[in-house]
Amino acid sequence: MTTATSVADVTDIKRQAKPGERRFGPARIAAFSVLLLMALTWLFPFFWAVVTSFKTEPDAASGRISLIGEGGISMQAYEKVLSEGNIYIWAWNSLWTSLVITVITVAISALAAYAFSRLHFRGRTTLFFAVIASIIVPPQVLIIPLYYEMLAFNLVDTPWGLILPQIVMAPIVLILKKFFDAVPIELEDAARVDGAGRLRVFLSVVLPLSRPILGAVSIFVFIQAWNNFLWPFIVLNDTLLMTLPVGLQTVMSAYGVEYAQVMAQAVLAALPLILVFLFFQRQIVQGVATTGFGGQ
Amino acid sequence: MSMAPQTAHPPLPAARAGATEPAAPITAEAEASARQARKKNRLVALAFLAPFLVAFLLFVVWPMLHGFYLSFTNQSLTGAGGNFIGGGNYAEAFSDPKVWGSIRNTVWFTIISTVPLVIIAMAMALLVNTGLPGQWLWRLSFFMPFLLASTVISQIWSWLLDPEIGLANEVLQTLGFEPVAWLQTPHLDLISITIATVWWTVGFNFLLYLAALQNIPEVQYEAAAVDGASRWRQIRSITIPQLMPVTGVVFVLQILASLKLFDQAYQMLGGVSSDTSRPIVQYIFEAGFVGYEFGYAAAISYVFFALIVVVGIVQMTIVNRRKGE
Amino acid sequence: MITRRQLLGGVGALAGAGALAGCSPTGAPPGADTLQFWHLLSGGDGVTMQSLLDRINESQDDYFVRPTVLEWGTPYYTKLAMAGSGGRAPEAAIMHSSRVPGYVPGGLLDPWDTGRLAELGVSRDTFTGPMWNNSLVGDQLYSVPLDAHPFMMFSNREVLRQADVLEDGGFPAVSTPQDFVDVLREITAAAPEHGLSYGFIGDGAQMWRLFYTLYAQHGAEMSFPQGGSAQIDDEAAVESLRLMSQLVDGEIASSQGTIDAGIAEFSAGSSGLLFSGVWELPPMQDAGIDVNIEMIPPVFGQHAVYADSHAFVLPHQQDPDPEKREDTYAFVAELLKNSFDWAGAGHIPAYVPITEDPQYDELQPQANYAGAADHIVYDPKSWFTGSGANFQADFGQVVQDSIRGGDGFQEAVDGLRSMVDAILAEPNPVDPEGTWNP
Repeated sequence: MTTATSVADVTDIKRQAKPGERRFGPARIAAFSVLLLMALTWLFPFFWAVVTSFKTEPDAASGRISLIGEGGISMQAYEKVLSEGNIYIWAWNSLWTSLVITVITVAISALAAYAFSRLHFRGRTTLFFAVIASIIVPPQVLIIPLYYEMLAFNLVDTPWGLILPQIVMAPIVLILKKFFDAVPIELEDAARVDGAGRLRVFLSVVLPLSRPILGAVSIFVFIQAWNNFLWPFIVLNDTLLMTLPVGLQTVMSAYGVEYAQVMAQAVLAALPLILVFLFFQRQIVQGVATTGFGGQ
Repeated sequence: MSMAPQTAHPPLPAARAGATEPAAPITAEAEASARQARKKNRLVALAFLAPFLVAFLLFVVWPMLHGFYLSFTNQSLTGAGGNFIGGGNYAEAFSDPKVWGSIRNTVWFTIISTVPLVIIAMAMALLVNTGLPGQWLWRLSFFMPFLLASTVISQIWSWLLDPEIGLANEVLQTLGFEPVAWLQTPHLDLISITIATVWWTVGFNFLLYLAALQNIPEVQYEAAAVDGASRWRQIRSITIPQLMPVTGVVFVLQILASLKLFDQAYQMLGGVSSDTSRPIVQYIFEAGFVGYEFGYAAAISYVFFALIVVVGIVQMTIVNRRKGE
Repeated sequence: MITRRQLLGGVGALAGAGALAGCSPTGAPPGADTLQFWHLLSGGDGVTMQSLLDRINESQDDYFVRPTVLEWGTPYYTKLAMAGSGGRAPEAAIMHSSRVPGYVPGGLLDPWDTGRLAELGVSRDTFTGPMWNNSLVGDQLYSVPLDAHPFMMFSNREVLRQADVLEDGGFPAVSTPQDFVDVLREITAAAPEHGLSYGFIGDGAQMWRLFYTLYAQHGAEMSFPQGGSAQIDDEAAVESLRLMSQLVDGEIASSQGTIDAGIAEFSAGSSGLLFSGVWELPPMQDAGIDVNIEMIPPVFGQHAVYADSHAFVLPHQQDPDPEKREDTYAFVAELLKNSFDWAGAGHIPAYVPITEDPQYDELQPQANYAGAADHIVYDPKSWFTGSGANFQADFGQVVQDSIRGGDGFQEAVDGLRSMVDAILAEPNPVDPEGTWNP
């Protein structure tokens, strides 16, 4: 899963025009136009969802193309979705389970990665190979036995049944091990000479050095957990335990499909991640570029 | 921001070994203490590894083995059955037209989605990399959809492609064309899903390309410019060749991702499955949770796994041969 | 172009507005048990159900029913089975009666305690015989029917009057297939388009509904014993298919009719009769048709009406909360007693005291066909039959050509038998060892 381990900062492209290239030549104007067109195309579906969500239900269902329906800009859809209440429950479930998954995943992965990077014990290579090899196993292959296992543990339809199978992410171990490999050993040795144990060294020397990478992988684990669909969809039946993606898909309106409301739900469900992106754009973009780990 | 530690020199293995196990004169006493040190090392290592390993065994290794066992039983979702029935599930799978059909749909989707997902991503990255103003806007537009949950993108696209009142058909009709049942027509449904998928996930490949472009040393362009090479010429002779390794990586990741199609297909088609659109992961789901046949679903899971492994091996062979050349 | 800062500001304001608009997700009074209740009713049925639930929730403080609507068909039945297998299912759910036998052997449903129901005024005496018997699996009661929604004959009295066949405000009494066809021809002559609207092309459910009605009029039954061979009365089946093909001759009814086209034709007043489920009543009333609904005439000897029911079930819970169970019984009994409004959507309320109430006679045309509840036949009981299951679609593929072509009826029946036998030879996926005993 890892690709380039480069340090180039893709969030910081402010290169000057190439030699022999004019700053505002026709080629650049053409390139800009194409890019703008593509960007607008990519933004459009989301834009249309927002437009629809602010229409009244009859305007949305009329199919007429308009930015503002005959009923004007309406908050009806949002009011209905929010007063119905499910979306709060689902958002809360998504939030806390994703946070728990992130904390556990990053903690156990960092400990394991440190052991693989620094500690010597018999079978290390084999064990590490087994962990890396598991990356090829698609999670979809495991849904049947995992569901069976959760039935046996009596964890179907519980938050832990949702959380536990999501805490093993071998790519995270690999990314962190590569990072620890590159941390100069001398820093740790100095601490060890002072009599610090392994765990002390790990906590007080290695982790502080690793803050950026831990931040990056945490964001990805969080996004992956927040967006995960298949496993939560299978393991959760109780609508009060569902996460946002599962609840939106499973629960219908008694009044039939009402598109303004569906779009209002979609916009509300998308908002948290849009905020995460706007605040952590650098980390996310840089994280994808350096680790090749996408969170889907 | 940089992801690498301050000084990025991987320590030599020898230096590391020496650091953890200091050399000592070989005496019985020293040997005993070395043994003790090794034992301690093992315990420390175990302590560090234990939490991950327990989870790894419980939620990856065990299900992997148990799933394989289940594939030889008549286990039911309801807990009934569970007796060993030999290779019956596999025999059934290989003669089940739905298995073959879903493999065909999956491979077809992989082909028609991977090509645009690589080409469009490369085009986006090349354009953005020219340093045009509005960098945050480009990244926001192209990458943001990737961060949204599958359910959200499915709802948005189901709305755009609604046969009666969706925008796509309204535009077609305004232009004087017949409306199209995007998600209700056999074969076309998978293409509609591909369009939504390209919109959704192209941003990830775009970022990989952008990172690779940033790694091409500026001096190469400068040298070419001094030689009088045009901009287009520079792209062809410097940029594109240097993008080959990352293109290989993008292809591999994309093919593996596309083979796992489920979310958006299941959601956009409303959980209804048709023989011309059902991906194999959906058939695993249907066999296990709609048809209650856990043993059979486990067998299909392993057929799917074999498909992934074969594709992985083929890709590795190709990549290795390239490297060898 | 808006800047990132402006966008952030706007988004923040929106999120704030959302937080302010929030109110309590459920209106449960303090101290009341919340009962999770799943159903698959949306549109007109969904609205009616919601108003019934609102009324019940407001009328008492012991429990609060929290409904969840899931998508009709496969997604609903998949989730319901999974909830039952997980053991933390909702307190109550609605199923089609015809799907219940497929769920019981896997332990996905808990049986109802008939004694407790009787104390609440719900018993064998408050349902018609066919409905009660269909709710039993073995000798246990697994579902409590809310309604029956039979497959019936709609008539446009305007057109029947013009054809001069109207008798007592309805279709004339006929007792043989030939008489029936003769009357249909008279109606056809008077109707703007076809005499009868009946959509069936590519729609196995529609073909099965009419076929099984006619088949049951012979007094015949079908049974599908697991591991055995399908018991089908060949003669009754052939005669039923023959009559169906006589009807879709292109004159009486279209030989190309789809369900949507049939409904559109009848609601436009272009035909005299429509074969359809009673749930089409509200749109026909909205269309201003002078509509009556009655059973398809007993041309093969006996009254018989193909139907399915929405029924309450108890999805399996590992350790049910006794208080919530108590409340669930009370809720179901209460809803049955309040199910008068349910008739508005065309369904026949299953709870007999409702249809026997003098008030029900004023409900037209519902009162005219309430008696159909005595003559209901359901799908043959098996794990693969029922509404939304594949069996009806597969049936359609086997018989459609013979219905349209007018011959090959015996071959079609043979095809049906071998199709069913192939399924019966397979183990029941919820009980692969066949160990379950009613």
